[in-house]
Amino acid sequence: MADLSLPLISASIGIPAAAAAVAFTNDARARMAGIAGAAGAALCSMEILREVQTANGARLVEPWGPGLFAADPLNATFLLVYALLTMGIVILAPKRDTSAKITGTTLLVLAGTMAAYGADNLALLAVAWVLTALPFIVGPFTGTWRPRAGLAASCLALLGAIGIIAGAARTADPFSLAALQGHNYGGSAAFGLLIVAIVCRTGIFPAHAWIEDAAEAGPVLPVCLFINGHFGAFLLARVVIPDYPLSAQGAFPILSDLALFTAVYAAVRAVAESHARRTLALLVISQSACILAGLESATQEGITGALIHCVVVAVATTGLFSVLRLMEVRFGRSFTSDHYLGLAEYTPRLAVFFVVCGLALVGLPGTFSFCSEDLLIHGTLASHPQVGLLLPLATAMNAVSLFRMFSKIFLGTQRTGVHGVGDAIARERWVLTAIVVFIVAAGMMPNAIVSLRANAAQEISQVLLHPVAKVWNH
Amino acid sequence: MTPLQMTLLAVVLAPGAIFALFSVLWLLGWHPTERSLTRTTGIVYAALTVAVAWLAWMLRDSGLASISVPLGDWFTVHDYRFPLVLLGDSLSLPFLALTVILVGLIGQFSATYLHRDPGFARFYILLHLFAFGAMLIFSAGSFDLIIGGWEMVGLTSVLLISFFHYRQGPVDSALRVFIVYRACDIGVITAAFLMHHFAHSSSFAAGMPHLAGGNATIVGLLLLLSAAGKSAQVPFSGWLPRAMEGPTPSSAIFYGAISVHAGAYLLLRAQPILMESTAASAAVIATGILTAVQGTIVGRSCADAKTSLAYASLAQVGVVFAEIGMGWTVIPIMHIMGHAMVRTLQFLRAPSMLHDYHQVHAAAGGHLVKTGEHLKTIFPQGLQLWIYRLAIDRGHLDTILERAFVVPLLALSRLLGRLDRIGLSAGSGGTDNPRTAPALPAGVEREGAIDG
Repeated sequence: MADLSLPLISASIGIPAAAAAVAFTNDARARMAGIAGAAGAALCSMEILREVQTANGARLVEPWGPGLFAADPLNATFLLVYALLTMGIVILAPKRDTSAKITGTTLLVLAGTMAAYGADNLALLAVAWVLTALPFIVGPFTGTWRPRAGLAASCLALLGAIGIIAGAARTADPFSLAALQGHNYGGSAAFGLLIVAIVCRTGIFPAHAWIEDAAEAGPVLPVCLFINGHFGAFLLARVVIPDYPLSAQGAFPILSDLALFTAVYAAVRAVAESHARRTLALLVISQSACILAGLESATQEGITGALIHCVVVAVATTGLFSVLRLMEVRFGRSFTSDHYLGLAEYTPRLAVFFVVCGLALVGLPGTFSFCSEDLLIHGTLASHPQVGLLLPLATAMNAVSLFRMFSKIFLGTQRTGVHGVGDAIARERWVLTAIVVFIVAAGMMPNAIVSLRANAAQEISQVLLHPVAKVWNH
Repeated sequence: MTPLQMTLLAVVLAPGAIFALFSVLWLLGWHPTERSLTRTTGIVYAALTVAVAWLAWMLRDSGLASISVPLGDWFTVHDYRFPLVLLGDSLSLPFLALTVILVGLIGQFSATYLHRDPGFARFYILLHLFAFGAMLIFSAGSFDLIIGGWEMVGLTSVLLISFFHYRQGPVDSALRVFIVYRACDIGVITAAFLMHHFAHSSSFAAGMPHLAGGNATIVGLLLLLSAAGKSAQVPFSGWLPRAMEGPTPSSAIFYGAISVHAGAYLLLRAQPILMESTAASAAVIATGILTAVQGTIVGRSCADAKTSLAYASLAQVGVVFAEIGMGWTVIPIMHIMGHAMVRTLQFLRAPSMLHDYHQVHAAAGGHLVKTGEHLKTIFPQGLQLWIYRLAIDRGHLDTILERAFVVPLLALSRLLGRLDRIGLSAGSGGTDNPRTAPALPAGVEREGAIDG
């Protein structure tokens, strides 16, 4: 197994952690510390991605701590996308959202997320999983009780699974992901708890409501980053499928149906939802459920589509939540769809960013999501021809909900009493333009990212299609 | 790549390139002048018209049946490929010619019609996006690629309906049209996926995927769903009069010429599949005839010129559908070309309709003979009243769709919403909770401020 040239994963964790320490102590420089920390993590992630590509998709371990961190086609993209999104959010966040406490905690969540993505050890992954959830369970990003309960349940389920695996493995290194592959340690109990952790963290029905509450009552930008970590999908691809291939093969048809049901459920819910933040949260739930359905389709098209869709959903919803937050700050209150507000007159560019990001989330041709939706629908149709037809239905309803929200906020007769609402300022424009350019450019030339994700998808689909052979290999 | 292939590629890509250029410049802060927009549009579409004419001439001269431009695969995963292939043949070239001619004409007409309108640049940018989408539909070599253009045309249509976005009416209408489009687009999307599933390809550049029996019926009916949605056929015809909220030039090109005929084009393209299924062909004919009857009856009761023209338009498209269902190919194409030209002219003259009417009367030396008066003598009084009620409610189609789909969906959504909120009040507010934010008096918004 080859090594990374430098301890890049450790650096991508350490730099934001150090920046968080600076941000906590210096309110005036919190934003600068945040940008520097996220940029450092992004640069390390870029180098990781480059080295993984150079190694033709081989697994690369950290030079100083083998068994702790490793990079491969599955996590290299996740690392880069998450670091860049955090940097973008810190740059464009309104002043009131860049206090020392918020920025410092956001950087800690970034460090934890990088550790979870880079972990080559189940215990380390679980610790990072819990660390990223803590700000939303104990503060400072707490909302109503349901997000706390949902996240606590996911953490407890994961820790419980680890306890069972440790008891069953009885090897020198019971948590090494490479050593666990295909052994089915802990059997159905461990597998079941891992699935509970995924269902709770991803917001699969019936554990979906916490995401709505977190988006409505919590600080919207950190919540957006948190849910866009797609830890549920990552745990499924990184741990559940490789370690429990036989259980996964048996359970996935049911789980896939549940994910598709969630996609449709959230889409139906969003149709009449009046609160803008809740509507966006429901769209994220619906699209995240589509990702899980793709992963569980066991087809290479569906899995590749799911892995690409993680990136699409993360980027597009970050754009949407960002514009929404910027509009809320300008308008002075959160939005509902009770009235038309006609704000496009004041903020035409923010309106364009919103509609492009929104339509990019639901498969607009020419954007990256067209490619991911195409693959997802092919994959789910191939594995579940009857229920796979629900995916286009859910996407169509999501598109309607998004356009309705866009119309209500940006179009229609202007409300009296709205003055001084300005369009995107320079730092907001740069970040949002970068998001739009990425969505469109990747949509025009998707092959580079598709081929990278296809490598990871091929491994996952091989495990699902030939689980016994994989056990023998390890 | 041969000169013919390069020309076809350039014809399709040119509107997209102009759209991309103008939109990126606008996002960066540039405000294009009216002259720059109209001149660019005029020059480009004049050149494209010449190019399409040359393509048609060369195709006829060389005796080739079609020009195919394979551009490789857009993306590839395992054994699934998304082929990018353009096709110029006797079906697509007339539609390409119609598009470039009419977009050029509409561009010139709008220079005066929308002069000094605040949305002048937006109109032209969307017009180019629409042209790109239409060119993509008409030159696509696979149903996958058709979907790309299909969605672009739908989106521009909706954005142009809400062109006067400072009024609530156009925005409401745009949302309604968007809902119908998205619901019906499921048909073509699913049909393309099912073609991959049944025949392992949705490309028709080298021949239509072979489907037979039940498979052909399913795919044919799904394509009919999308075609009916885009061409405002029964039962989706209710959106067309709402679409008249947009500016007249866009109404002319969308609902008189290109967009409203896109559904017919889709069915013409899929005609070999339709001919494999009697049920699908019969459904196409029935949809067309029903629409023609509904359009004729409703159109006679409309009080405004554009709505009346809209129903006249969908009645003709209904006849075209029936022709396609019967297996004809040349007659529907000729019908579409003639109809598109006449209807575009009528839409563009709609704002001057009274003036034209008086001029025609004066030229005729008195009142013109009304048509349709014989219906009063044919039908009994009671039936006439019943038809009239049917006509003024536009065939009750919107009411039926609303009661059958919209009301139950909204009720279900609200019910699920109530279930989702159970136990919510037990929680505490967060750092940013709108529920705990100080309330403002009804109808009064807080003054906004940039927080920088």
